[in-house]
Amino acid sequence: MSLIEIRNLTKHYEMGDTVVRALDGVTLTIDEGEFISITGASGSGKSTLMHLLGCLDRPTQGEYWLDGALVSHMTDRQLANTRNEKIGFVFQTFNLIQRTSAVENVAVPLFYSRKAHVRAPSLKALERVGLSHRAKHKPSELSGGERQRVAIARAIVNEPRILLADEPTGNLDTRTGEQIMQIFHELNRAGVTIILVTHEMPVALQAERVICMRDGLIIMDGPADDAFLTRLTGSTELVDKNENASIPTARPAAKV
Amino acid sequence: MFFLRIVLMALRSLWIHPLRSILATLGVIIGVGAVVAAMAILNGMSARLEEGFSSMGSAMVFVSPNIERRGGRSVGNFDSLKLEDADAIDKECSTVTRVMPQIRNTAGVKFMSKSTQASILGCSENYPIMNNHVVAEGEFFSRTDIMGSFKVAVLGSKVKRDLFGGRPALGEKIKISGALGARTYTVIGVMEEKGNIAFTDVDQQVIVPITTAADNYGLDSIQMVICEARSPADADIDRAKDEIKKVLRQRHRIRAGQQDDFQVQAQKEMVEQFGSFQAIIAVVLWSIAGISLVVGGIGIMNIMLVAVTERTREIGVRMAMGAQRGDVMRQFLVEASIVSLLGGALGVLMGWGLATMIQNATRVMETITTGWAIAMALAMATGVGIISGIYPAWKASRLDPVEALRYE
Repeated sequence: MSLIEIRNLTKHYEMGDTVVRALDGVTLTIDEGEFISITGASGSGKSTLMHLLGCLDRPTQGEYWLDGALVSHMTDRQLANTRNEKIGFVFQTFNLIQRTSAVENVAVPLFYSRKAHVRAPSLKALERVGLSHRAKHKPSELSGGERQRVAIARAIVNEPRILLADEPTGNLDTRTGEQIMQIFHELNRAGVTIILVTHEMPVALQAERVICMRDGLIIMDGPADDAFLTRLTGSTELVDKNENASIPTARPAAKV
Repeated sequence: MFFLRIVLMALRSLWIHPLRSILATLGVIIGVGAVVAAMAILNGMSARLEEGFSSMGSAMVFVSPNIERRGGRSVGNFDSLKLEDADAIDKECSTVTRVMPQIRNTAGVKFMSKSTQASILGCSENYPIMNNHVVAEGEFFSRTDIMGSFKVAVLGSKVKRDLFGGRPALGEKIKISGALGARTYTVIGVMEEKGNIAFTDVDQQVIVPITTAADNYGLDSIQMVICEARSPADADIDRAKDEIKKVLRQRHRIRAGQQDDFQVQAQKEMVEQFGSFQAIIAVVLWSIAGISLVVGGIGIMNIMLVAVTERTREIGVRMAMGAQRGDVMRQFLVEASIVSLLGGALGVLMGWGLATMIQNATRVMETITTGWAIAMALAMATGVGIISGIYPAWKASRLDPVEALRYE
């Protein structure tokens, strides 16, 4: 069985009288060790899919199997445990807790899994993102890139099966963004399954497999190869004009 | 371990806004302060009540003019009790073993350039034995001094210290002011240090023969006759009361059916009277404390609601990291309890200070702050914190993680 199996997943929201079909029957399989990006314009349903994949929300219909467990039918308590043990989150705005130090931020997931020793694994996670020398600094004393690295350390500290990153480079300059992407690649090489949600096509194309969404449906799903690029340039509405220009250069840089 | 971490986390959140935390807990500070002060005052009163009567023995019966308070004014015949009544009770009542008539007043006492305020007690030679309070130096006045209205005085230990310091007082002349001007008295004795008897600091007292006191104030009546029954047993007390009433009604020519112009109360009844007075004070103090704690609870609930709104995104992040709804609830409940407990600690200090201030300001009122009262006040503060934290904490725990993460 694959790490993630999604069958006909649907999420509907009621907004007054109208029903918003944020996700309209998505079927998807993700294997362990994959590096996937989910892309699409805003309103395409990629955020909704990410929330469901991240066990933050329940689908209206359909099944979601994660690591052999049926997540779509779990209780709040089981969902929280699944998030804690199997999923690591990285957000666009880092979402660190401002009043605590880097190492304490990293320890948060360990804290909720009631681990007795949190300091050593937290420092180890910081070391993996190259930030052990900033362990005692508060988020306000760190640069944007450093903050995001702390967030990544926090996401991997419990050794999850999946790393879910929601626009992880969205608040960073290009260079820092590339450094962050580099860390994702390293983690992926070490065996972590990475799911990257982004609307920036150059970032999305750094994954091995790209999933394009529109109107709550997957419209393209395949390896980020030349054939994909050809199809992509054919459907220009998926890509912001200014980003389109940088596609060819961004991809090889990441594949080094 | 988990709990300890939550406590540390709460302390840290509170420390971010120290002023806000203190303002939020102001109600609890005042409430707990009131509880501690109230208990200190009430404990003090109880102790005073026990101590006040214990040295007198419990076989005492108090005879006083029948004065009632009606519409805020004292009504009745203040002069109904005469010195001769005391003598009559002494002679005619076989159930009464000892009698002490008394007049009490406050006056300035002077020796050379030193002066002090003292309670002037005019009484009989039975004072030492009936109050279990004896002279330390010199002697108490005798029946002869009373018969002759001699101007002799026995000083309380503090009065002696105030006027004479370490020097001997016996034989010295002091001046006591009175209605008819200051008069000179010879000091014949100094009482041993005693503290309080029946709510009076007897160390700040000057004792003179009752006849002399009456002269000094131009009185021909006395304020009270204290009689000792044969034993503290109810039967003996009742018999003494009946006999005293009979003798006095006869002496005052009160016809059958007519009301007494005096009242006779056993010590037990006096204690009960003080007890009910104490109960009224208790109700007032506890009401203040209760209202303040309710207000304090509202303050804490308010600040916790603000904290939950402010930290909505943090709650979302924590949930994404695997925090259970119970974990979120616990975090805010602990925070509310801690802010309240800290307020309680400040309140204890305030209450303690208040009680000490009251004691110093009034001098008469004694206050006792017990560990038990402090523990109870702190427990109440924590309780208020938990109760007022429940709703905000519940609200935080019910947040939808997706919505919370999106919150700006």
